[in-house]
Amino acid sequence: MSTSDMIKMALRNLWKRKLRTFLTILGVVIGTASIVVMVSIGIGMNESFQQQVEQWGSLQVINVSAAGGGMVSVSNSGSSRNEKQATEITASTIEEFKKIAGVEAATPVMSEYLYFVCGKYMADASVKGIDPASMEAMGYKVEQGRFLEEGDNNTLVFGADVVTGFYNPKLSWEMRYNSPPPEVDVLNDKVMITTDWNYGTRHADKNLKPIKVDVVGILPSGGETGYAVFMPIKALEQIKQDQQEYEEKQSGTKNVNRVKKGVYQNAMVKVASMEEVQQVQDVIKEMGFQAYSLTDELETMKETTKMLRMMLGAIGAISLIVAAIGITNTMVMAIYERTREIGVMKVIGASLADIKKLFLTEAAFIGFAGGFLGIIISLGSSKIVNIIAVRTNSDMLSSIPLWLCGASLVFATFIGIAAGYLPAKRAMKLSALSAIKTE
Amino acid sequence: MAENVIKIRNVKKVYRMGQEKISAVNNISLNIAYGEICCLLGKSGSGKSTLLNLIAGLEKPTKGSIIFNKRHIERMNEDQLAKFRQQYVGFVFQSYNLLSTLTALENVTLPLIFRKVPAAERNKKAMQMLEAVGLSERANHKPAQMSGGQQQRVSIARAFINSPQVVFADEPTGNLDTKTTYEMMDLITALAQKNKQTLVIVTHDLEIAEYANRIIHISDGKIEKIQHNTNKKKATVEGGNQI
Ligand SMILES: Nc1ncnc2c1ncn2[C@@H]1O[C@H](COP(=O)(O)OP(=O)(O)OP(=O)(O)O)[C@@H](O)[C@H]1O
Ligand SMILES: [Mg+2]
Repeated sequence: MSTSDMIKMALRNLWKRKLRTFLTILGVVIGTASIVVMVSIGIGMNESFQQQVEQWGSLQVINVSAAGGGMVSVSNSGSSRNEKQATEITASTIEEFKKIAGVEAATPVMSEYLYFVCGKYMADASVKGIDPASMEAMGYKVEQGRFLEEGDNNTLVFGADVVTGFYNPKLSWEMRYNSPPPEVDVLNDKVMITTDWNYGTRHADKNLKPIKVDVVGILPSGGETGYAVFMPIKALEQIKQDQQEYEEKQSGTKNVNRVKKGVYQNAMVKVASMEEVQQVQDVIKEMGFQAYSLTDELETMKETTKMLRMMLGAIGAISLIVAAIGITNTMVMAIYERTREIGVMKVIGASLADIKKLFLTEAAFIGFAGGFLGIIISLGSSKIVNIIAVRTNSDMLSSIPLWLCGASLVFATFIGIAAGYLPAKRAMKLSALSAIKTE
Repeated sequence: MAENVIKIRNVKKVYRMGQEKISAVNNISLNIAYGEICCLLGKSGSGKSTLLNLIAGLEKPTKGSIIFNKRHIERMNEDQLAKFRQQYVGFVFQSYNLLSTLTALENVTLPLIFRKVPAAERNKKAMQMLEAVGLSERANHKPAQMSGGQQQRVSIARAFINSPQVVFADEPTGNLDTKTTYEMMDLITALAQKNKQTLVIVTHDLEIAEYANRIIHISDGKIEKIQHNTNKKKATVEGGNQI
């Protein structure tokens, strides 16, 4: 029997029992729709986590720290302790990072808490020293001005919240809070940087001379960078060295913990795609460093909702199983009704394969039609779920990617075939003679 | 005597009903020649249907062999039997056995559908067949919209469409009135003779047996006697184009 004849005949048989076919398809529709909607809620949740985490910073950046201390000491994920523990990051380490497959950029990182002077106003922030050439690659965004660039020296890029944080040091705390933020134009006004937190007051240390700097860019408010200030690492190192020297002179003792030039505790590594982050992170850990990225965070969030998502999936799966039983039931009934017909077909020349395929085609079509309608209904329900989620401020957003539509259509058809397999086999095995004898 | 299309050798069919054994066919040997019209005649329960089913490969004999064109029917598996039926055999049933979802035309084309004959070709052939049985106007009717006689005509058209070497008919007129019975017998024998096809008819009706070249009297699963029918009824029409 040719395929087109097979399909025609299958459709005709289904059409003859319209109501029953429709009810069976309805079962599959409900099964498919619930599985798609449930899975889509799982996907939607993950997507909203991702958006949330992306606000905290780029998911493609890995923060590396040497074991010797450093400011962020994140627990080594997993108990697999490396034998070798790297204690410092140098220019050659950075070069090694850059050679790892998938790495786009790498920079050493150091931080110093410093003070800024603009006219009679002051501000303070943790200044991050990085390789100026890597700033753009790290995935930051500038709102005004430009990024740090190769060749920059005493150059700063300010977070917008630092700019609005300027205050008049002569005023008392109370008065600072009650007065509106001063109008400072850091991009054009003269800005200086100092390590003296008493600068501008009568306690100021006259020996600490502020350094004149250029502010070239402003980063958007909020998020990861609102309160950050970026500076070329070489310049920041110099400030640190000068400060340490000055402190040693003041106290007259040598600082044993004095930070050496060109030796860092932290680094940032930018990976070309999110998918490669974990892989690169593992390589860095292998080298003896601690590595941490926001994808870790994301994974943890996904992990915590895994149970919920699995339960949602299970609910869908159960309704699809019920639908599959419905298909089997329908096909078994069809065999009882059509026993005689099957016998006649066999007697006039239908092969066993023809009989089996005919029943499988009918079952597959029920699955396919149910899957198709189920997807249409899911797309509608997904819209409704999202409207409710937005109104109730919930994370339960639903998102149906194209692959999910395709997969569920294939899956529903497959369920149909699987459910029809037993009945088809049974029809095939019917003895032609006893089949035509039945009334 | 012409060559034999079917050779039946010492065939036995025993049904086991609990402790009881019923020999429905008891050691029958018989040859059926090409182009012959052969009638199996006997009382109810004599085993004639069982014999027919054995010859057609619908049942396996308990003992003995059935040779169709040198091939042993009893040794074929289901798939081989399906091919064999597609190629060599046509069936007419007492209760027509048309598929209710299909039109008359589609029912007639069904054996060709199983043989993967292209739609245009099989429809043309089926139309010719329907014309031969005088039902061309009913081509698009469903079985439920036709009388018993008309349905049997469709089923005869279906049996002959493959130009099979042998057509089997088990009480083809059992559900029809006398007048229609003769029309049907005229039709079926005319069609068979036109293409020199072999016809094996099962009946308990002597009048019908009159159409045969040979009448095999069966009783208690055995051949009682074989009667060569000298005053064989002639088909009244050639194509059978009469109602
Ligand atoms: N499947 C079966 N199981 C058990 N016994 C059977 C079976 N089929 C037929 N028989 C028995 O075999 C014998 C012959 O049956 P068969 O159907 O061949 O008779 P028949 O000559 O065709 O009769 P009728 O004219 O009534 O159709 C009967 O006694 C019947 O009871
Ligand atoms: Mg019988």
